[in-house]
Amino acid sequence: MMSTSFELKEGSPLPKITKNITQDNINLYAKASGDFNPIHVDADYARKTPLGGTVAHGMIILAYISQMLTGAFGQRWLTSGKLNVRFRAPARPGDVITVSGSIRRIERGDGHQTIDCEVLCRNQNDEPVITGEAKVKVK
Amino acid sequence: MKDGQEFPPAAFQVDARTVADYLKAVGEDNGLYENTGLVPPMAVAALSLKALISAISMPPGTIHVSQEFEFTDTVKTEDTLTSHARVSRVQARGKLHLITVETRVLNQESKPVLTGKTGFILPTP
Repeated sequence: MMSTSFELKEGSPLPKITKNITQDNINLYAKASGDFNPIHVDADYARKTPLGGTVAHGMIILAYISQMLTGAFGQRWLTSGKLNVRFRAPARPGDVITVSGSIRRIERGDGHQTIDCEVLCRNQNDEPVITGEAKVKVK
Repeated sequence: MKDGQEFPPAAFQVDARTVADYLKAVGEDNGLYENTGLVPPMAVAALSLKALISAISMPPGTIHVSQEFEFTDTVKTEDTLTSHARVSRVQARGKLHLITVETRVLNQESKPVLTGKTGFILPTP
């Protein structure tokens, strides 16, 4: 049985994480990912769009979810993780994003268990930024 | 863009410097990535999307609305990866198009490490 820092049972919350969105981190992410879309990195351009300012790459927020799941399930997440999400709202510099989740179901299979989780990212106003589900196989 | 349209395969590597920048950008400090050469799966995903977005030439106003990923093997910094992508669905909704693109990333042994489905809404030109 896999050892986790939380109780591996249906209904258990995953250890949540909180992240501050900064323009510096968005710029660094643009450099690392090669995605320099001006909506993320050019304040003058972004101000003239319907979004009214720069927004974080959606993939940054997904990286936070992946970080929470790596913390919860370790290398199993890297070799058997599945994520299915919808982007609900943009995250902007200055936002504080809380990433949380809980175990919905545990399916017992042949020599492993599939952990089915709900995942959620909310901003400081409690608005959902990303909603979705994650699955991971553990021994 | 049409159903079934395939994009040219794109090969890429994730070097240690890129991984370090990525870890700093997202504030990832899990010991799993310390001196192991392991690449965070979402860094692989981001670089495969970069290749895809370059190939599609997204028009201004494109919105990334949904994302699925499945990670099937670890990636290390010395690995050479190849991303394959195809349009699996095109739906017209008024002045917008909903496009779904499937991506498959293989390592140098042709072993899949990641598959994904990306949903975009594109404004009609």
